[in-house]
Amino acid sequence: MLFQTALYASLALCVLGLVWRFSVWFRVRIGPDARDVTPAQRLAAVFRGATSALFSRRMFHVLAAFFLDVLLLRRLFAQARLRWLGHLLILVGFTLLLLMHALAPLVTAKLFQGYQSTLDPYLFLRDLFGAMVLIGVALLLIGRWRRRSGLPQARRSIDAAFVALLAFALVTGFLLEAHKIASPRAFYRMADQFIGATDAEKLEPLRAFWASEFGVAFDDLSGPIDANMVEQGRQLHRDACAFCHAKPASAFVSYPVARVLAPVTGLLDDARADAWLLYLHVFACLLGLASLPFTMFFHVVAAPISLLVNSAAVNRDFSAQSFSSEARASRRALALDACVRCGICDLRCSVAPIARYLGNPGLLPAHKLITTGALACGLLPRSGHEDEALRAADGAFLCTDCGRCTSRCPVGLDLEDLWEAGRGDLAAAGLPAPAQWLQARPALAWAESLEPGPWQHALSDAEATFAPLAADRGTFSRCVQCQTCTNVCPVVAHSIDPEHGVDLTPQRVMNLLRLGLRDLTLGSRMVWDCATCYQCQENCPEGIRVADIMCELRGLAVRRLGAVRGWREVS
Amino acid sequence: MTDARQDSYDVAVIGAGMAGMSAALFAAERGLSCIQVGSGGGLLFASGLLDLLGVHPVAEHRLWQSPYAALAALAREQPDHPLARVDAGSIRSAFETFVTALAAAGLPYAPLGERNRNVLTSIGTVKTTFGVPRSMSAGVDALDARPSCLLVDFRGLREFSAHQIAATLGRSWPGLRYQRIEFPGCEVVPELYAAHLARALEAGETRERTIARVKPLLGDARAVGFPAVLGLARAGEVHAAFEAGLGVPVFEIPTMPTSVPGLRLLGALEAAVSARGVRRRHQATVRALAFDGNQGTATLELDGVPGGERVRARAVVLATGRFSGRGLKADRGEVRESILGLPVQQPTSRETWHQRNFLDPSGHAINRAGLLIDDAWRPLDADGKPAWPRVFAVGSILAHQDWMRSKCGSGLAIATAWAAVDQVARQLRVTAAG
Repeated sequence: MLFQTALYASLALCVLGLVWRFSVWFRVRIGPDARDVTPAQRLAAVFRGATSALFSRRMFHVLAAFFLDVLLLRRLFAQARLRWLGHLLILVGFTLLLLMHALAPLVTAKLFQGYQSTLDPYLFLRDLFGAMVLIGVALLLIGRWRRRSGLPQARRSIDAAFVALLAFALVTGFLLEAHKIASPRAFYRMADQFIGATDAEKLEPLRAFWASEFGVAFDDLSGPIDANMVEQGRQLHRDACAFCHAKPASAFVSYPVARVLAPVTGLLDDARADAWLLYLHVFACLLGLASLPFTMFFHVVAAPISLLVNSAAVNRDFSAQSFSSEARASRRALALDACVRCGICDLRCSVAPIARYLGNPGLLPAHKLITTGALACGLLPRSGHEDEALRAADGAFLCTDCGRCTSRCPVGLDLEDLWEAGRGDLAAAGLPAPAQWLQARPALAWAESLEPGPWQHALSDAEATFAPLAADRGTFSRCVQCQTCTNVCPVVAHSIDPEHGVDLTPQRVMNLLRLGLRDLTLGSRMVWDCATCYQCQENCPEGIRVADIMCELRGLAVRRLGAVRGWREVS
Repeated sequence: MTDARQDSYDVAVIGAGMAGMSAALFAAERGLSCIQVGSGGGLLFASGLLDLLGVHPVAEHRLWQSPYAALAALAREQPDHPLARVDAGSIRSAFETFVTALAAAGLPYAPLGERNRNVLTSIGTVKTTFGVPRSMSAGVDALDARPSCLLVDFRGLREFSAHQIAATLGRSWPGLRYQRIEFPGCEVVPELYAAHLARALEAGETRERTIARVKPLLGDARAVGFPAVLGLARAGEVHAAFEAGLGVPVFEIPTMPTSVPGLRLLGALEAAVSARGVRRRHQATVRALAFDGNQGTATLELDGVPGGERVRARAVVLATGRFSGRGLKADRGEVRESILGLPVQQPTSRETWHQRNFLDPSGHAINRAGLLIDDAWRPLDADGKPAWPRVFAVGSILAHQDWMRSKCGSGLAIATAWAAVDQVARQLRVTAAG
């Protein structure tokens, strides 16, 4: 009764959670182009897209994706073999455990006549599946440990708790099984039920047989057991028990555990371990069921859907252009849920070294995905968390759109589309790209707000480490103002609009540096429009690292102002 | 010879200015495998005009119409001048080889001949030179004959004023007119840069619009002069299109350095040496140069190459230039050669580096400082012996010359490179035979 109530409650929570999570796919708006689309339009677009894919040749792509990407995890295989193995073990082990063990009355018992969990092959298989999941979890944890990069990995405590819960359910399951194997109490209960417990003539041989062959830990049986007795017991066993009980040694995990627990089995029996282990096991499973939709393990639903949706794309490069703006909006929300937080994107990210250097994990894709979601859900920016928003903005605009995260994502998420949308949202939330707000003012005006007093000629120690070239006169003192950098600069060449074109040419930037007026350059359009093509640096007859200096100056400006403060100054 | 992994060469040329480029070009033409180390950025200061020898003696500022007559006089009166060590036949061959290579790389020159020519400068003065790019040669004729002539400049191009040239020359050239026009597409741009205009003119449409703006201004002009912005990599094509479009000879006047002709020269020389299989390390500098025994090889350790690089060469040509090329370094006490620390022929004390008058016609002693060499172009050590059997020095780093005042910069670079590479080839042959 208690179990039933708990089961239905958990199921109800799970279903409610799923419905809520599904609804998010149609409600949450990520990106400026998603703003004017209603949930109904999105639902209709998804329905239209799904039906058109269903009745076209694209269905074969979807089928192929289902087998290769969803079931066999092809994309993960290409990225990380060990993790692929771990994940596949969990996927297969857990699914089969669920079907064969948890849903036994609904599935296994219906399919196989005479199903008993204590008979082979079910006895063996249950341990096998459980062991697969345990080994899989261990492999993933090892992988996570080996990948630690010094930067925090993107994960939430609820997800870690869910992993602990899963491990707890598995461990209690094994313990429960082990205890039942070794438990004399369970033996007596069964013996009483099937052969009559009072009949000592039958009971003794059976005890002898179960103690020697089935590992029951009778505390009053010690020393060598009489072989004749065991043989008698075997006959009785064959008649009364063998229909339901295979040798527990085939439970290759629980049986050794039972042997280890043998000395304390009596104590455990007295403490009714069978009952509370069962409660712990069942409630852990039910709690997992109820909380699944609220953790990132919702990806077991979202990731396959995301993979199938992308496989149905009209363009085979799965680009965002394959989808209508309505479908694109839902696809982005789906991507937030489909992310498995594996962190492969973080490892491949082109700006990861910058993230490490700045100590801002907000640059990394897996983190950025979370902040993009928080921004879309209105959780950012909020008062008291301005710093978090600022770091998110820094991260978003330092991304170079190199596309490595998208190409390596084992779930095939179109992350570039997500980043672009996220930047749009950041701009709308009052956090546009530094280059945008910096150009709202001329360089001279910036120089005044960049420094409290007269322009500093020397950089502070921290800034000098950050911008070693700009701090060292030797870098640019050789400049002879020959104008070669300006002559070869494509930005100057294309700057035909005095209103928005470059204000200082590269050689003037160098000249200001020579004059010690570095702060005058920090907000200049030349510095911020520099395409980093390195023509200036390649051609400089004096070998001055012009392009590298431009990069430093940009970094220096942002470092001094901070994105939020800088933007507020002009808005 | 063209194996990218090759790290051992017949000859390593250190320097990529006029002398280094010439040495690499001549060595490659002789079939020697060659690596060149150093930036060609110094060439950006070139005007595209190739001087041979314009002035001798410096103190008298005597201009020569025949460079070869001037060279003969130089050989008689200043036998230790590096150019006096090269015979006229070699100089002719060197220049012919040099301009032929440039023409093949898309930078044609007017036929060299035997005489110096006079060329207009961007401030209206007249410069005596020897080799003239084809795009400037109509200006030589115009300056000689002084027909009715139009000079055009562009508003916003600060480094070139047709008005100034006409104002300077107007009295002796009554038919010289000037006009300022807007560069198409840049009507609202406050400031223009020559290289950008040069690239823009390589687009047919911009070219046609420019020609269309100049054509109504032609009047009776028999020649039209422009700042040197008529194309960059495809300068020949742009120049031809202007002549065809305007129907009169068109000539360029070099602008202030660094200029478009300098960019063209650098590009053409880079293309010429690369096409001949010369390996280039144009961002590298030589950190150390060591020699393995008397007849062995030289090892160059390079900086500025990711991870560093070691190169071995059987001969080394030092073409590192003077102070701005950083071949020579001066401190409070003395001038030093920067790679090998070779002794530099120089005034005994810093007080005697310069004359009291900066514009003293006889020049300054420091400008004639440099490396001493033997007859085989090998720099000498403190004992007056060759520093190493197969190190050679060429170009402006050599002592006993004042190339700026003599108007012999290109000649010094090209002629000494030719003669030294000849010695390199000889020495390597001797070693190979031995």
